[in-house]
Amino acid sequence: MRKPVVAVLTAAGTLATVLAAAGCTDSSSADGGVFTTIDGNHPINVNAPINPYNQASNTFVGYNTMQLGWAKNSKTDPNAFYPGLAKSWTETPDHLKLTVKLQPKAKWSDGKDVTAEDVKTSAAMSFTQGGGAFAVSPGAAGGLGDIKVVDSKTIEFDQAAGSANNSFLRNILSMNVIPKSVYGPQMPADIWDTIKTATDPKAAKADQTKAQNTITSLGKKLVDFGPKKDVSAGPFVLQRVNPGEAVLKKNTYFFDADKIGPKQVVLKNYSGNEQIWNYLIAGQLDAAPYTSTPTNVVKKIVGHKGNGTVKGFSPVAASLAFNQSYKPLDNVHVRRALAYLIDRKLTTKIGEAESGTASQTTTGLVGDAANAWLGADGVNKLNPYAHDTAKAEKELKTAGLTKSGKTWMYKGKPFTLNIQAPTGFSDWIAGSKSISSQLTDFGIASSVKTSADYATYLSEIAEGKYQVGFWLTALGPSTYNAYARLYGPSNGWTQFGAQVKHSAAGKDGNWMGGTETANVPGLGTVNPGDLTNQLSQADEAKQKELVGKLARYSNDQLPAIQIWDYVNVQFTNTTRFTNFPKDDSDVLRLSPGVWMQLGYIKKK
Amino acid sequence: MLKFLRRLAGHVVRGLVMIWIVTTFTFVLVRLMPGDPVQTQYETLLSKGMSPDQAKAQVAVTYGFVPHGSFWSQYGHYLWQLLHFDLGRSVRAQGVSVTTEVLSTAKWTIGLVLAGTLLSFLFGVVLGVVAAMRRNSHLGNGLSIVGSLLHGVPQYVMALILVTFLTVKFKLFSTGPVDGLLEPGFNGPYIASIVAHAVLPAVAFALSSFGGYLLSMKSSVVSVLGDDFILASELRGIRPSIIFRYVARNAILPLFTVLALSLGFMVGGAVFIENAFNYPGMGAMLVASIGQRDYSEMSGAFLLITMAVIIANICADMLYTVIDPRVRRGEGA
Repeated sequence: MRKPVVAVLTAAGTLATVLAAAGCTDSSSADGGVFTTIDGNHPINVNAPINPYNQASNTFVGYNTMQLGWAKNSKTDPNAFYPGLAKSWTETPDHLKLTVKLQPKAKWSDGKDVTAEDVKTSAAMSFTQGGGAFAVSPGAAGGLGDIKVVDSKTIEFDQAAGSANNSFLRNILSMNVIPKSVYGPQMPADIWDTIKTATDPKAAKADQTKAQNTITSLGKKLVDFGPKKDVSAGPFVLQRVNPGEAVLKKNTYFFDADKIGPKQVVLKNYSGNEQIWNYLIAGQLDAAPYTSTPTNVVKKIVGHKGNGTVKGFSPVAASLAFNQSYKPLDNVHVRRALAYLIDRKLTTKIGEAESGTASQTTTGLVGDAANAWLGADGVNKLNPYAHDTAKAEKELKTAGLTKSGKTWMYKGKPFTLNIQAPTGFSDWIAGSKSISSQLTDFGIASSVKTSADYATYLSEIAEGKYQVGFWLTALGPSTYNAYARLYGPSNGWTQFGAQVKHSAAGKDGNWMGGTETANVPGLGTVNPGDLTNQLSQADEAKQKELVGKLARYSNDQLPAIQIWDYVNVQFTNTTRFTNFPKDDSDVLRLSPGVWMQLGYIKKK
Repeated sequence: MLKFLRRLAGHVVRGLVMIWIVTTFTFVLVRLMPGDPVQTQYETLLSKGMSPDQAKAQVAVTYGFVPHGSFWSQYGHYLWQLLHFDLGRSVRAQGVSVTTEVLSTAKWTIGLVLAGTLLSFLFGVVLGVVAAMRRNSHLGNGLSIVGSLLHGVPQYVMALILVTFLTVKFKLFSTGPVDGLLEPGFNGPYIASIVAHAVLPAVAFALSSFGGYLLSMKSSVVSVLGDDFILASELRGIRPSIIFRYVARNAILPLFTVLALSLGFMVGGAVFIENAFNYPGMGAMLVASIGQRDYSEMSGAFLLITMAVIIANICADMLYTVIDPRVRRGEGA
């Protein structure tokens, strides 16, 4: 009986080995090589349409999806771009008119020219999706008022009357450009009339609503549409998709095809970070975008031959945000005491050693951006909240807390603090545990609670169920976006056109529950939501003034305590390709497809 | 024949009622889950650099596919869609029909888990018989211990061990379903690649589940070996090979039921195995849809799993009357 069993097992093993060998291919055999990576925006879905306006689409930014320009990883200027399908552009100083000249040699992968009409069709498509310059609400700040095709390669954009939004250029240049020959027939002939009615503040209300509804339903239809074949103006065109990967081949019609090294790009599928790490540890990826990666995993990844990291600026910070509806967190002295108590360097070392640096202090911006806007002197004038238990004790006493033995008491009961973090966010959980331990040692009974997942966390934090929780802040480089994290809907301020309104704690998504105004020494009474709203309309000098005030407000009032600034860590493998961007390059937030367009990445 | 048909009709009616109950239960359950999918997508878009109003507009388009209104109107809408074989639209795969998503992932799962189940059944039954026949030897004891140990190893542990050692440390196998650089279609290299990619997940599935079959088969064989008819056969001098057939046919009956039920559960997939091997099956889809609170996809997946289990139950019941003469006689009496 023993022999047949052994024979069966041996046969199965042999079959597996033979089949595994049969499935292997030589990925380096093609000229220019096969560049293997993952798309950080979404996994591969074989059923998704080839439509860049679809969130799960089989189009990949920088490879077979082109924008007019590519945003640089600037610390302060959200309008700094590399040319994409636009060769050049000019904007009037008041941001009201933008003229774009397209790349003269730009062609689609079917051989047709990329023209200004394609851009106009893309703008119509963007209106059906809404938001930014393409908001369909009349009088929306920074909306596109008019679009004019000057000639086949030149197009003008006018900002809607009544606003001079400084994000207009950014929103226009970031538009995904689609071919009119493919998408035009999907749109009604009178689409621009409908858009005009929907966005015209002078139009009759009934007509306006009807037009808006038409655009909304058209948006649903268009986002679902997928051409059978990819028509790309990018350096690559989709060759095939299977559930494991998407394969793109070089687009010979691309206007800068000579710059593109690889002949093929393979974008592998993944269902989580662990898969990406496994690919990297096995040396299968030539590059991978940022994922929050634990130290031990980073060591394994860089331990593989050819693997390395490229580090650069990231305009994102991790903060501990307060729900001020929970007493005594509404008392600024208590928040300041906590800021003194948290050793940010220690917390960062434990929570985000590889891709984080301890925040200098709380400004609402990451350290590099704060230094650029305020200057080193400006930042140094702010309270650094260096770890100091004596100052913390003083602040707590000022807030009326007392000490019983080793325990801090609030109104006769122990002051307790529950820190919340979502399951799966290992850096936030480790950071929370470190903070909890520091606070408990000081006499504030603290614990860490985890939510089932991120969806639950966001839902429950918005419902006001947590005292304190980790929160992404400083989402730049746009200063408006960064401060809207602290003084936006989550803290009661909602933007309506050029105005803002403030809702009370617990209403309209206001879970942070801060006061509408506060008195800041040297500034007087400040309404941070109003200042944030002004940022969207301000020129650079005015922004500097507003950022100065908001940084001081944030530093004084502490709606959240910045713990660490993220560092953009990307992985590369130089075994098969070379000439990757270096540390601190301003292309690091762009996809390797854009790197190739800019002359990076050559076969070794 | 009439009785058979009547019995079958009874099963079908009960099955439909069961599907309705489970469907309703699932519909309620997924909506009771904490977590706001709109908020999750909004936050994700913000962290990618979108302004709050852009993110809000994008989310509005994405979730425009989701039916709004009261719970009862949503439930009515859902049942009406179901009657028209429409499972709604996915949010995760924006706008794609859930039926397309479910069917395209189910084929990978069925292939993988069918191979794994049959492999584990084959190994389990053969080794179970060996363990029973040699129950007083080192081989028999060893097989029982190995079966017990492997049965106790969770699928995700087995999957992680195999992934770590055979795909990452020693690159003998690849994860994913197929090598994308190959021309898809009914050609040798492509099919070989599919099979090669399925070997390791199927082995992971088989290794973590064959122990159950082994132990059940051993127990069943030992029980049959003690029956009077075996003793009578031996006394009448019937050849051992024929006695073995008597034993095997009687002992395997309970395992057929387990196998049929396992085949029903296979549509649910080996969630952890699919995730570990990056295999694009129903299990992986279900995990992703739960993470993003894609109610339509979750409901669609649960519905298919429920239907498969119920159909497998009916098949097992009907099959039992065919393969076990005692049940047939009881039915005829």
